[in-house]
Amino acid sequence: MPNAILDPTGRAGTASAAGPGLELAPRPADLAGVRVGLMDNTKHNAALLLAEIGNLLAAEHGVAVTVAATKANFAAPAPADLVDRYREACDVVITGVGDCGSCSASAVADGIVLERAGVPTAVICSDAFVVTADAMAELRGAPGYHYIRTAHPVAVLTTEQVRQRAKQLLPEVVALLTSRQ
Amino acid sequence: MTHAAGDLDPDAAQAAIEYCFDQGWSDGLPLVPATRPLVEKFLAAAGRSPDEIIGRLPQLDRTVTVELAAINAAMAGCLPEYFPVVLAAWDALMHERSTTGGGWQSTSGPAPLIVVNGPVRAELGLNATGGVFGPGFRPNATISRAIGLIVRNAYGLHPHELEQATQGLPGRWSICLAENEEESPWPPLASEAGLPAGESGVTATLLRTCEFVDNRHTASAEQLLADFADTIGRSGAWIFRYAGAGIVFCPEHAQLLASAGFDRAAVRSWLAERSGRSTAELAGTGKDACDANGVRLPGEHGGDGEFQRMLPSADPQHLLIAVAGARNAGISMVVRLFGGWSGTAIPVIRP
Repeated sequence: MPNAILDPTGRAGTASAAGPGLELAPRPADLAGVRVGLMDNTKHNAALLLAEIGNLLAAEHGVAVTVAATKANFAAPAPADLVDRYREACDVVITGVGDCGSCSASAVADGIVLERAGVPTAVICSDAFVVTADAMAELRGAPGYHYIRTAHPVAVLTTEQVRQRAKQLLPEVVALLTSRQ
Repeated sequence: MTHAAGDLDPDAAQAAIEYCFDQGWSDGLPLVPATRPLVEKFLAAAGRSPDEIIGRLPQLDRTVTVELAAINAAMAGCLPEYFPVVLAAWDALMHERSTTGGGWQSTSGPAPLIVVNGPVRAELGLNATGGVFGPGFRPNATISRAIGLIVRNAYGLHPHELEQATQGLPGRWSICLAENEEESPWPPLASEAGLPAGESGVTATLLRTCEFVDNRHTASAEQLLADFADTIGRSGAWIFRYAGAGIVFCPEHAQLLASAGFDRAAVRSWLAERSGRSTAELAGTGKDACDANGVRLPGEHGGDGEFQRMLPSADPQHLLIAVAGARNAGISMVVRLFGGWSGTAIPVIRP
């Protein structure tokens, strides 16, 4: 009997992370009076894009915009105390922009954590990072997690182009954060 | 254990290698299939508990143990006696901020730079001289490859999936240098980083790329340093307010500088002051200003002649200096740090 070939991953025999999947947080019917948290991951144009979406939501949907904080380390998922602050200060959260290897995956991880904490969340990711974002969702037991994809690149857009992008994304953000499809 | 070629079973070896490819474990090259008896030799060579956790990536829910590292080092083609150096290199990398955050997933696709000092170099046959950036030397090639396989397999970071390198860089998972202490005019890098002289140690950081400086015809230390300052100060590598760099000096350049009275600190201080570009030059590449997060971007005013330094200070963390290569030409390498260097050297521990 020859020696067995050893597995170098540490995952031999581990079931794939299918799990129970992700149950989304309950959605409000509409966004009137809802406190919207913007979680800027500090990637270039992220703060502006989120602020523009917040402005449009305030003007057109009557939300109260709340910026709880920025996520200082875009490369890692938000720390627990930051998630808690959003949970307390906001009814729904919009976060992004996932436009790098680690921050796109981390943005999706944040969305999933917030959903599990009961906060409906819209994650905005560059469409160049769909594979890594989906891989993170699967890793977090939420295969098929629905986030918003926006055309790459975001970082080079002018202020006016970011405003246009915000307008473009608005219907999808509203649909994702409310129960009304 | 040595075999005569006639005793070996190449068909079985080929089948085992293909099995490893099929599992998705390979970096693209054949792996040595790891077995329990082989890995036990690695663990014995290191004398550390197999269950000791030596790395964590909480966002991916993955950990690296000494045993997993040993399996990957065996698969990389290391000999068991290399394993203490692999562990020291790994531990040195764990002192880098980026390696415990998102660095391995980064679009920049960074490569570890591993520098080995002390008697372990000769004991293992690590190359410190000609062709030091490789290939051709088993310990240099396989110790660095082992780090790549640990990241791939124990962390589960596969290209095109959770690893998002836009292009990566030449030499990724293959840059492991022994410092040429014998021909260096300066104390070993590991000593500068705090290890006692004569002790074997490893320093490591992540690189964005390497760029040569070929200067064979000046006898002036200042002209030579100015050549390095020009290369270090290039705008392409400059994405935040400051950027770190490193130099792997060839013996000839290091000796020229030393004979003019420059030690490592004096080299760093000279270069920290002079490596950079004017604001006007940076405006030409859209990098003259910084946003609130310190990211370089186009400014509003086109820029003036004010000189912007690339290195934040003359500290070793921002300009790593090592000496390696042959004494046959004035060819050195500027390396681009992914972040700062921790400034730490890790001793090579053997039972």
